[in-house]
Amino acid sequence: MGDGSLGSGGRGNSGGGGGGGGSRPEWLQQYDLIGKIGEGTYGLVFLARIKHPSTNRGKFIAIKKFKQSKDGDGVSPTAIREIMLLREISHENVVKLVNVHINPVDMSLYLAFDYADHDLYEIIRHHRDKVNQAINLYTVKSLLWQLLNGLNYLHSNWIIHRDLKPSNILVMGEGEEQGVVKIADFGLARVYQAPLKPLSDNGVVVTIWYRAPELLLGAKHYTSAVDMWAVGCIFAELLTLKPLFQGQEVKANPNPFQLDQLDKIFKVLGHPTQEKWPMLVNLPHWQSDVQHIQRHKYDDNALGNVVRLPSKHPAFDLLSKMLEYDPQKRITAAQALEHEYFRMEPLPGRNALVPSSPGDKVNYPTRPVDTTTDIEGTTSLQPSQSASSGNAVPGNMPGPHVVTNRPMPRPMHMVGMQRMPASGMAGYNLNPSGMGGGMNPSGIPMQRGVANQAQQVHFFELILDGCSGVAC
Amino acid sequence: MAANFWTSTHYKQLLDPEDADVVHPPDRERGITVEDFKLIKMQMANYIWKLAQSVKVRQRVIATAVTYMRRVYTRKSMSEYDPRLVAPACLYLAAKAEESTVQAKALAFYIRKIYSDEKYRYEVKDILEMEMKILEALNYYLVVFHPYRSLTHLLQDAGMEEMTQFTWGLVNDTYKMDLILVHPPHLIALACIYIASVYKDKDTTSWFEELRVDMNVVKNIAVEILDFYENRTSISEERVHAALNKLAMKP
Repeated sequence: MGDGSLGSGGRGNSGGGGGGGGSRPEWLQQYDLIGKIGEGTYGLVFLARIKHPSTNRGKFIAIKKFKQSKDGDGVSPTAIREIMLLREISHENVVKLVNVHINPVDMSLYLAFDYADHDLYEIIRHHRDKVNQAINLYTVKSLLWQLLNGLNYLHSNWIIHRDLKPSNILVMGEGEEQGVVKIADFGLARVYQAPLKPLSDNGVVVTIWYRAPELLLGAKHYTSAVDMWAVGCIFAELLTLKPLFQGQEVKANPNPFQLDQLDKIFKVLGHPTQEKWPMLVNLPHWQSDVQHIQRHKYDDNALGNVVRLPSKHPAFDLLSKMLEYDPQKRITAAQALEHEYFRMEPLPGRNALVPSSPGDKVNYPTRPVDTTTDIEGTTSLQPSQSASSGNAVPGNMPGPHVVTNRPMPRPMHMVGMQRMPASGMAGYNLNPSGMGGGMNPSGIPMQRGVANQAQQVHFFELILDGCSGVAC
Repeated sequence: MAANFWTSTHYKQLLDPEDADVVHPPDRERGITVEDFKLIKMQMANYIWKLAQSVKVRQRVIATAVTYMRRVYTRKSMSEYDPRLVAPACLYLAAKAEESTVQAKALAFYIRKIYSDEKYRYEVKDILEMEMKILEALNYYLVVFHPYRSLTHLLQDAGMEEMTQFTWGLVNDTYKMDLILVHPPHLIALACIYIASVYKDKDTTSWFEELRVDMNVVKNIAVEILDFYENRTSISEERVHAALNKLAMKP
């Protein structure tokens, strides 16, 4: 975060608050709270608008409120992880944390992000259910390129997202960042220098549709390849408007074997074989459930039929490389950005939502807002009011959509607003991978290879017992 | 960045040496000297270490906790933020940040076990409240780099693996000073290797030359560490207690 000054509206030593449940925390005064826009296991997300006179006046903000932990163990580790990562990272295609607030009265924690009108879940749904038309190829390519660009940045910095899915990929609405992709929700993200525990150890529920086969087969450790599998699933979904592998989730604790999800994958891609994926036989579930797994015989690769692409098409080639079974052979984000698909017309652009030919423009609905839920998460009887963002597209879906009509509870939606000079845009088409590069700004004093590497490459820490050295 | 020191908030926040030991006005009014300030921070680093041994967390968690504690006192006074509460709360927060969560009630239990002194007595509720205040005092910057990883690599590169235990101990002791707030971690590791090579009479001149690091900086850090060991003999428990008593915060 460039400026380094995350303001803390959280000060107000509980004195002004007046203690009780009804009074609003002091820091909230700087916003007009509009309503609830999302909800998940972590807590609630609210839409608000900056009201104090400032350069950001009128700007929309998404505020993520973390539930207090039930077991009396303070700030949730999920919130700590998310703050920790978001505070270090800064990229145009990754959400930016603009503020953290603490309410000392009830010890709740709030993260404020710039607000994004859209996400891939809503965009896909809009095309499937409302306009009955595929997403423009320019839009698909631009969304995918920006998603990969953000992911390449994360992976270059040893961060695995672990929960990529359409609803976590946000897209900015009208404004100077229109059509820019923002990867969101870092509650499960990890720096992968440390050994990563399976998600089930954290008691976290994750959608299984985007889960990589090695994880479904019981692999214990995450690699960045799990994110690339998810990107492949999302790419196919952008093309067909349907989730690629829609398995029935087995709900049980802890971490049940998701046979149906694997079956859905095998049906499309054919069974994996040991020749193509040498580590396959070492995966726990492959060994123990081999009869079940191989009950159906799927030999042929039906992916081309599913996504309706000829096997020679560069889009198909890229997709199959993302859906490679062997995580070691799966294409990386950096490699994907160099793929031929992104070098052919239509070239990807910064504003994914506005294609070059105006006739293809789709007006996407803005996010539904529930104006009856206050910051405490309690529902009031106050009538719904129009809360669509002031920058709604003309001819847009009318009015606010009430949350109760929504098909399923949604995770967070929020976004960063990094200002980027227009001149920087040239980089998009000319040299896509160049955008992800500048991780190591030149001019910073670097030591000889080994010293520098030692800071970056991480091994399990060596632990020595007992006395702390010379002077003990 | 989370994994690149040079783009990390840790790097951006490194302090000038003179800014690390500034006694805040409320503490100065209570008669706290720079020496007292250093002593208390050292005592709290030891306290964190003892607590960490009880709840069994990795060295890395201890190092992060001590760094948090030292960062807190570059911004907050000890009169306002009682070190005897900040220390366990930093360990509590660091454990979460380093993926080895420790229960607050376990900490409260061991606090009582380690110190019978009333002044150290803090309960779960106090730790949780202080956790939030620490988050705020740290300005939500939680990623900390440590010399341990560099140390392992550098020793390997220098063919000095047999010095691992010795240098590791030296690195542990650097957390009794503010070095982690001032110098990049790999330079602290190099200073420890330098001390070890001098102490064990091993010629590493050409190896250091090849590194192309500023040897003056490395040697200065080494001198600071050696100074610390020298002065340490004169540090008594009484002096530490006298310093803490000046704060006189808890009745």
